[in-house]
Amino acid sequence: MSTLSLYDEIQEIRARYPESLSAVMPALQLAQERSGGWLPEQAFRDVADALDLTPAYCLSIASFYDMFRLEPIGETVIEVCTNISCGLKGAQQVLEAFESELGLKAGDTTDEFTLRTVECLGGCGWATIVAVNNRHRLHVQAGDVPRIVAELRGSEWKEPDEPDA
Amino acid sequence: MSPTPEIVFAGTNGGALTEIADYEAVGGFQALAKSRALTPDDVIAELNASNLRGRGGAFFPTGRKWSFVPKPDKIDKPHYLVINADESEPGTFKDREIMLRVPFRFLEGSLIAAHAIESKHIFIYIRGEYEVEFEVLVAALEQMRAKDLLGAVTIVVHRGAGAYICGEETALLESLEGRRGLPRTKPPFPAIAGLYASPTAVNNVESITSATTVMEIGGAEYAKLGVENSTGTRVFSLSGNVVNGGNYELPHGYPLRDLINELGGGIADGRSLKAVIPGGSSTVILTADEANTVTLDFDSLVGAGTAIGSAAVIALDDRCCMVQLAVRVSQFYEHESCGKCTPCRVGTKWLTSILQKIEDGRGTQADMNLLVSVAERINGKCLCPLGDSDAIAVMSYFDKFRDEFQAHIDEGGCPFHGESSLDHLLAPVAMHIALPEGKAIDGLINV
Amino acid sequence: MSSGELVTVTIDDRDVAVPKGTGLVEAAASAGIEIPVFCYEPRLGPPVGACRMCLVEVEGLPKLQAGCTLTAQEGMVVKTAASSEKAAEGQNATLEFILVNHPLDCPVCDKGGECPLQDLTFRYGPGNTRMSFSKITLEKPIPVSPLIALDRERCILCYRCTRFSSDVAEDNQLVARNRGAHTEITTFESDPYRAPFSGNVIELCPVGALTSTQYRFEARPWEIQNVPTVCGLCSVGCNINATVREGKVKRILSRNHPEVDGGWLCDKGRFTYPHLIAEDRITEPLVRGELGLEPVSWDAALDRAEALLREAGTRTVTALSGTESVEQAYALARLLRGGLGAHTAVLPESTSDALDAFRLPLSSIAQAEIVVIVGDDDLADRAPIVDLWLKAAGRNGAEIVRYGPTGTEPTGPGGAAAALRALAGSGNELGDRLRAADRAILVWSGSGGGGGARLAEAAHALGFAEKPGSGAFHLPATPNGRGVATAWAAAADEDEANPEPIGLLIISGDRAAADPAVRALAERAEHVIAVTMFHDLAVGWADLVLPATSSLESDGTLLNLEGRLQRLRRTVIAPVPDELAWISQLAGRFDVELSPHAVVVFDELSAVAFGGVDGSELNGTAPLPARTPYEAPPPAAEVKPATPARPAAGHFLGELRLLRYRPLFSGPFVERVGELAFQRPPAELELCTADAERRSIATGDHVVVKSNGTSVELRARINRGLVAGVARVADEHAADLHLHVEVVKP
Ligand SMILES: Cc1cc2nc3c(=O)[nH]c(=O)nc-3n(C[C@H](O)[C@H](O)[C@H](O)COP(=O)(O)O)c2cc1C
Ligand code: SF4
Ligand code: FES
Repeated sequence: MSTLSLYDEIQEIRARYPESLSAVMPALQLAQERSGGWLPEQAFRDVADALDLTPAYCLSIASFYDMFRLEPIGETVIEVCTNISCGLKGAQQVLEAFESELGLKAGDTTDEFTLRTVECLGGCGWATIVAVNNRHRLHVQAGDVPRIVAELRGSEWKEPDEPDA
Repeated sequence: MSPTPEIVFAGTNGGALTEIADYEAVGGFQALAKSRALTPDDVIAELNASNLRGRGGAFFPTGRKWSFVPKPDKIDKPHYLVINADESEPGTFKDREIMLRVPFRFLEGSLIAAHAIESKHIFIYIRGEYEVEFEVLVAALEQMRAKDLLGAVTIVVHRGAGAYICGEETALLESLEGRRGLPRTKPPFPAIAGLYASPTAVNNVESITSATTVMEIGGAEYAKLGVENSTGTRVFSLSGNVVNGGNYELPHGYPLRDLINELGGGIADGRSLKAVIPGGSSTVILTADEANTVTLDFDSLVGAGTAIGSAAVIALDDRCCMVQLAVRVSQFYEHESCGKCTPCRVGTKWLTSILQKIEDGRGTQADMNLLVSVAERINGKCLCPLGDSDAIAVMSYFDKFRDEFQAHIDEGGCPFHGESSLDHLLAPVAMHIALPEGKAIDGLINV
Repeated sequence: MSSGELVTVTIDDRDVAVPKGTGLVEAAASAGIEIPVFCYEPRLGPPVGACRMCLVEVEGLPKLQAGCTLTAQEGMVVKTAASSEKAAEGQNATLEFILVNHPLDCPVCDKGGECPLQDLTFRYGPGNTRMSFSKITLEKPIPVSPLIALDRERCILCYRCTRFSSDVAEDNQLVARNRGAHTEITTFESDPYRAPFSGNVIELCPVGALTSTQYRFEARPWEIQNVPTVCGLCSVGCNINATVREGKVKRILSRNHPEVDGGWLCDKGRFTYPHLIAEDRITEPLVRGELGLEPVSWDAALDRAEALLREAGTRTVTALSGTESVEQAYALARLLRGGLGAHTAVLPESTSDALDAFRLPLSSIAQAEIVVIVGDDDLADRAPIVDLWLKAAGRNGAEIVRYGPTGTEPTGPGGAAAALRALAGSGNELGDRLRAADRAILVWSGSGGGGGARLAEAAHALGFAEKPGSGAFHLPATPNGRGVATAWAAAADEDEANPEPIGLLIISGDRAAADPAVRALAERAEHVIAVTMFHDLAVGWADLVLPATSSLESDGTLLNLEGRLQRLRRTVIAPVPDELAWISQLAGRFDVELSPHAVVVFDELSAVAFGGVDGSELNGTAPLPARTPYEAPPPAAEVKPATPARPAAGHFLGELRLLRYRPLFSGPFVERVGELAFQRPPAELELCTADAERRSIATGDHVVVKSNGTSVELRARINRGLVAGVARVADEHAADLHLHVEVVKP
């Protein structure tokens, strides 16, 4: 999508708020969506231009919040909640299963995947919560991970001959 | 004790009321019509009669909060209603289920509140991670607009972007204004100078939804539910080592023991209860013995030295290492500290380091004293309650499970030997790391 | 802030009565009690309560309170660390936390010795460290700009610098990045902190995190002297301290004059002092000989000057820069007008005394209800501090209206006078509100207008003379243009005679020497004497060059744009004799008695021109004289209406009106300071969106700007705020382009 339409769309967002500064977060969210899930330098310059702000200001906002990404990310972002409720229910094992299945360490990014741990996603009673591109999966257990990864890779999932007890 | 019928989730039959017709079929929007027929003061009086208190954590009487917002003729500025849907306190996931299953009851409550404080502008600040909930609200609003239920009121759903501190009301307002979510000093309080320095009421999703219920059944009826000082029902979020985690709408005063053992199906995997965090991760922990005696209401929990907080009950079984729990909780507050005030920014990190050292078996007796001292130096010195919460929570683990901390020192390592449920739990990997190296600036004269 | 009402608070068992609304920190200070602070700085706006250094115990409140966030209330009982163990423990805790990551590199830190963190640690801090983990280490220092270095390890995150950037200068260039313990101060990516007031953050930083690259490792606090003077680089005259070590200026600091500068200083005033030691500084008189300019002795130079003056006599013309002190200008005038009868001067700009009827301190702008600005120039380019006062007004809720090519009311170039006439006329809605307001301000920022005479007429017509809160400011282009004009006029009252041909042109100062109009005069003059600081402005065309001094090297007086006389003080000994010294010698040769001492010259001048004001009253923070009665200025000469931009239509794109401006960061001093180069304007041409789109020009494109056979290649930038039909460019990049230009893509 062209820069011009980002500009125009941001003007629409701006009009929703009594003061235009309030539009900075939604504008950055939109710019992030348009830039492949992260905020390259140009995205900051575009948002700043559209809201009469400086790129530095936009950076100070984006970098405060965990959901803005300042580095490129994989096509699929897998986030495992490792706060206490999920932790008590085996989140670390779920994470490790993802690490071994994807061949990544938490925090790593490839073109295909970003794997990271996150703070409480607000699903504690349904632990472990795993967010895949911001959609939450509930009750995930380590044993579910190979199937999830296969599904995300778009490959056929075969039940192992002798599933582990 | 057997649970009374649901009122927040009334009419859902375990499902969701996301079609406006279905909601109207169970009496939806009658409370709004009733409220709009009343003066704002009468609505507030009804709330006061109900003694509904804030479900966001501080338990402040909702009606009184609204009455603090000056009347429009007293102040020449627009009034704002801001709804706190940032739900990020570990263990808490009730607002989410309310928005998913009874979005109209919630939105109806927001219109009632707006009427009470004579506001035409409602902002719902919903945490960014709640994407489906956001979509449900937007769809519900569409349906309401189509039926012209909003009247002259505008509702903007504003998405957060991942920062626990934005649940704190003044940080939320800063964030909504387009700034970094740093808490403000009080006074001025939001009621006088909140959003855009204008009179503002900030309320939690569940408080607002309960307001609908209050107006539906009447304040006096509502006050009959629950116990003295803690009226009405509460959506308790149950998690941890129980068989059936989930949200349970119960009257205040329900025994904690029953929530865990009966509704929650008891402790899973045949283990035994070790401790309970009763109101979200910020609250003082209860030992199993203490947990067995308290009821889920303000007075009982305060009497036990803790708080009802966000009504998030986390049950821990005997596999949980308390030092590991402290490390992980402290890591959370360290990660979420906004960085504005010194004791929180520096203290939470230092506290984590000391705890990690003890967990790793490198701790000394002096570190035990240092831990206490640093926690005391954080507590009560911070700008907002976030830093204090870390100190208070960690100190409660230390006070009640001191032997376990001591064992780490004495054994030179974790006495659970890798068997703890929280063993090696990895905290979030920071997304925005500090610039690793200096950057080049054009035209720089080397410094 | 203070109403008449007093409240009494008890601090450390002492009753302190202060005006209602006084901050607790100030209330305590008034009783000699210290509440230590880091983040608190009232000039940055409301307190933020971030650092927690100021913790005090307040009776009735269970928790310690951040003293900086409290205001004194009747009956409040406060205990500071001096009388409360709890408060002392709180402050000790804060310092312990601050020091957890602070490096112990005080011995090599520029702030050492004048560092609040050092001082407060000494008084309130822990004696040893209990931190057994490694401190956060980061590469250091990193550049924030070529002028400012940042040591992130030393930063205590008080947010003073970022609050200055966002809440005072409103440039939003220096920001906090990340969250929590990862927070750090930064600019965007590799952009430098490029803004007119960046240097203030160095002074604001309570530790050695932000330091001046010019001052780094140059001096220790016990080796230096701070000499109070005023900045001589624009018509505001910010009060400054020059830090001097071993006879050299090492840095310039602001010196708070609450009415003039509020303690802020622009980067031009702060960072251009190295011009004093520029490589091409002229240190000896130069006389044109067979081989060009050759150094001669002062005696020989004065002989030559005398001979040139005698030869030209009344056919001598003097071109003044407006950078001279009133004493220098007066001395020159006494010599030339009194000694020779040479009355003709080229003044740097026209000025008007009529505005004295609407005089106000600059600080009153911040309290205004409405401010109307007219003129083609940005305030910050002419008188930067005025822009800060205006921003303060905006934050205080003032309505701000700008008529001009980049204004809120877009007006073509040269539209200032017409805009004012409209306001002052009847039936103008804004004009009526200006009349009705108690505190309305008019500002003229640009050329024309008879040096403020037209502004005075408008202010008069709007009834400002009767309103002590309403006033008008004309922003002159030169630092002391008005003082120089007054001094020149005071030396004699004969009429000007226009000498033709010009026998001798005396060029006083580098600004006049750089002026193309003055250079054109020089071509017509038989001889030229240039009094300049730098070589390249004099070589080639002067017969005699006399070395000049800078305002940092002279005693004297400047008349600022408010009409306030302020004292210049010699901060270092110049490498050359003072102008007054040789002018008085030369004057003696023409039987004019003139003291070489600025104080004496001032007294003489003051008696004729400044109502006999006593020079000693101008020390410290100089007062603003009272308003004078309004006297109508001479009527405006018939002015042609500003040429409107010719409308562009159809296939013919048409010409654009070229708007040149003189950027703040320009001129002979700035050009000599390499580290200021990044602040100078890029070679770019600004166009409005419509004009750019019509030509398919986007920001960043190269464009050719043509007029009358001249063409210049520039980078285009779309400026959404620019009026249509205008192309805006910095003077130094406009070469010989004429008023109307064609802009095309190559
Ligand atoms: C660190 C911190 C986090 C908080 N997070 C939340 C939250 O996620 N949701 C919420 O409703 N209130 C939260 N609160 C409480 C709010 O500040 C505020 O008290 C509440 O939104 C008021 O609504 P209520 O009166 O309806 O409870 C938080 C408070 C603190 C100090
Ligand atoms: S750099 Fe200095 S002024 Fe800026 S936050 Fe750090 S300590 Fe404060
Ligand atoms: S000076 Fe009060 S908190 Fe910093």
